[in-house]
Amino acid sequence: MGVDALAETLRGSAMKTLTVDESQGYHVPGASRRAVLSRGVDLSAWVSPAAARRMSPPSRLAVAAAQMAIMQAGLVGLAGGPSTAIVMSSSFGPVTSTEQLLDSARRDGPMSVSPFAFAESVANAAAGQVAIATRAQGPNLTIVQREAGAITAVGRAVALIASGRADRVLAGSVDEMPPLLHALLGRFDALARPDADGVEVARPFDAGRDGFVAAEGAVVLVLEKLEAARARGVRWLARVNRFGSAFDATAPRIGWGTGHGPLGRALARTIEAAGRQPSEVTRIVSGASGAVDGDRIEAEVLTEAWAGAPLPPILAPKAHVGQYGGGFLAAAMLSVAGGVFGPTLGFAREDPELGIRPFSGGSLAPSPLSLITTMGSGGSASWLLMESWESGAA
Amino acid sequence: MFRETEPRMPGARRRVVVTGLGAVTAAGWGVAALRRAVESGQTAIGPFTRFPHDRQRTHVAGEVPAAPAGHPWLVRTQRYSHADRFALFAALEAVTEAGWPDSLAGISAGVFFGSSTSGLFESEQFYEQLAEGAPDRADRSLLASHQLSAPAETVARRLGISGPVETISSACASAGLAIEQAMQSVRSGEIDVALAGGADGLALTTYAGFNALRAMDERPCRPFRADRAGMSLGEGGAVLVLESLDHAIARGAIPLAELLGAGSSCDATHMTAPHEAGTWAAAAMRAAIADARITAGEVGYINAHATGTPLNDAAEFAAFRTVFGDRASTIPVEATKSVLGHLLGAAGAVEAVSTVLCLMHEAVHPTAGDGEMDPSARVALVTGAPRATPGLRYGISSSLGFGGANAAVLFGRWVAP
Repeated sequence: MGVDALAETLRGSAMKTLTVDESQGYHVPGASRRAVLSRGVDLSAWVSPAAARRMSPPSRLAVAAAQMAIMQAGLVGLAGGPSTAIVMSSSFGPVTSTEQLLDSARRDGPMSVSPFAFAESVANAAAGQVAIATRAQGPNLTIVQREAGAITAVGRAVALIASGRADRVLAGSVDEMPPLLHALLGRFDALARPDADGVEVARPFDAGRDGFVAAEGAVVLVLEKLEAARARGVRWLARVNRFGSAFDATAPRIGWGTGHGPLGRALARTIEAAGRQPSEVTRIVSGASGAVDGDRIEAEVLTEAWAGAPLPPILAPKAHVGQYGGGFLAAAMLSVAGGVFGPTLGFAREDPELGIRPFSGGSLAPSPLSLITTMGSGGSASWLLMESWESGAA
Repeated sequence: MFRETEPRMPGARRRVVVTGLGAVTAAGWGVAALRRAVESGQTAIGPFTRFPHDRQRTHVAGEVPAAPAGHPWLVRTQRYSHADRFALFAALEAVTEAGWPDSLAGISAGVFFGSSTSGLFESEQFYEQLAEGAPDRADRSLLASHQLSAPAETVARRLGISGPVETISSACASAGLAIEQAMQSVRSGEIDVALAGGADGLALTTYAGFNALRAMDERPCRPFRADRAGMSLGEGGAVLVLESLDHAIARGAIPLAELLGAGSSCDATHMTAPHEAGTWAAAAMRAAIADARITAGEVGYINAHATGTPLNDAAEFAAFRTVFGDRASTIPVEATKSVLGHLLGAAGAVEAVSTVLCLMHEAVHPTAGDGEMDPSARVALVTGAPRATPGLRYGISSSLGFGGANAAVLFGRWVAP
């Protein structure tokens, strides 16, 4: 839990996974049994036990993350009010609450469903609970755009500030990974399979990749105007230069498509609209996760946008933090700021069709211009151009 | 932080007009069916067959009737979810009216939708198979449209859209918020055209959930009536084509209305009950009015959220009083949910369509239902037949959702220059 723990994870040599509870019998033989889980994490310092009892798992995670972010930003007691907006994203919403409704309706009839579970089953439950906890009375949105949702949430949060609709935004992402959801992802062959030793590893960009490692968690960023941060004398982690998004209409309902050409050109236009050239990008933080087709299109889109020119160093933090739960968003911010990062876990063999060798580990300086990309299943893609503190401190 | 030394997008505040409408509701498939229903003052809420409800407390809903057999817009959609089909039909109707019958490929366009249930009904069927003890035989294709983003993606895929495609799921405020996001995207120049709307389908767990909260009336809902006893669920989809005025004029399109402003807020007090004084719902409406650069005194029509629950309608009237003062009891009000039911994530979209229709025809639709008005929430509900309102210029539609999310969108009748 916390930024320091994440930084340690990104330096580490192994993904921290736990065994998923398979006692309900949802998992099929041979499929993944491990995920990055929040089991055992003590949130009581951020969410009172009394409040936590009224929340679903995603709500608890999101409220805790929001309180941590507010503290780090020096906004304790100051973050609420009509000028503070909340933009959260989630790929799956509160699965535990939904499953509880389904199960009770099936076993004991529809009159047995819990009103509490129903209220916490809506996708915006976490955003609502964060608002209650922080008294943020500005716009409150929950974006549900699969793996592209987290970056989209940041982009739309920036737009709220730029348009004057908010002075600051708590923006982030939350997902839980209960056994049912984990098993269903396995049924769709989305998860990295165990090897002969039972080890499950996501291998972003690797020739032998066969799926991602699922994760749960929550990440919240505090976004505010540069002038406001300066006035409070706080140091910022990174600055958003430009947001862009596009859609690949060739993508099926589940999976990734073949529209890297239009996506790559859309990405190039975003860079151009920022008054920059791809050659000025000093670092790419890719949403590659180990998904066979997901990583393919990540690579193809970058290659298209760079028109065949050499790419800058590429980090693939989902090798460390897994897919979902916001870990990628937080890792991307730390990557922009620079630091010591471990080698991309699981990468051993370059895929000749992709031509990408992700970061092999070491110390990274703050990046003057970083590109963060996510290609979501189902077709949505979004990206951010960002600058580090050092590059924008003047 | 945002680099404010250079403009993010060219054309920071372009005018946004509506050039196409599409709808699928309990009234039928198409805007014509919707218009007939809302002008009739008769409810389309009644018995339904989507799933068994003999063990539920209530037995009515606004169920979409069977699709027109063999309709070309629904070819090869048999394995789509109900919500996907609603979205697709409504979107194709809207873009056809706007002048693009086949595709939006090559056009700077995006999709912004609201959804709360999406393919939940189909997912319920999968879960039933899974739980029956034969997990290997559970048909995973039933989950293909489970994602809340599915209706918007279905539309984008069908029309070859390459711009931003985003779905907001903020309960009953979803579509209102999506329309706001779409407006901002067109207004800022990010895109020239946006399909803004939403789609949701009836689902057993949602129906049971609202009954668990004792939020549903056994009769079709009766907003603002003294003896109102709750809401009625509905389903469907609605889409508005939003376009920059310059883009519309350049291709010879005639606007149906203008989207002048939008606002949003959050109660930040309770997960299911609205703020009693309607303070933050009022804030959303005030923000929309300010964004539209008009005054509250110029608003001539309100499409209320008006679910028919005792708490919502009371809070909403309080919000109207805050924004409009004494005019809260004289501005004509429509409660569309009395006719179609509550479309949840798509409610704001279908109510925006109804708002545009009122402005186009300068007549406020009647609200279905009978009973004495609540003396403590005495809005000027139009009943019986449409009320002619010559010269009607501005209408506002409000949406209040679980989690305290509030949204308001304000349209203006199109007046050719």
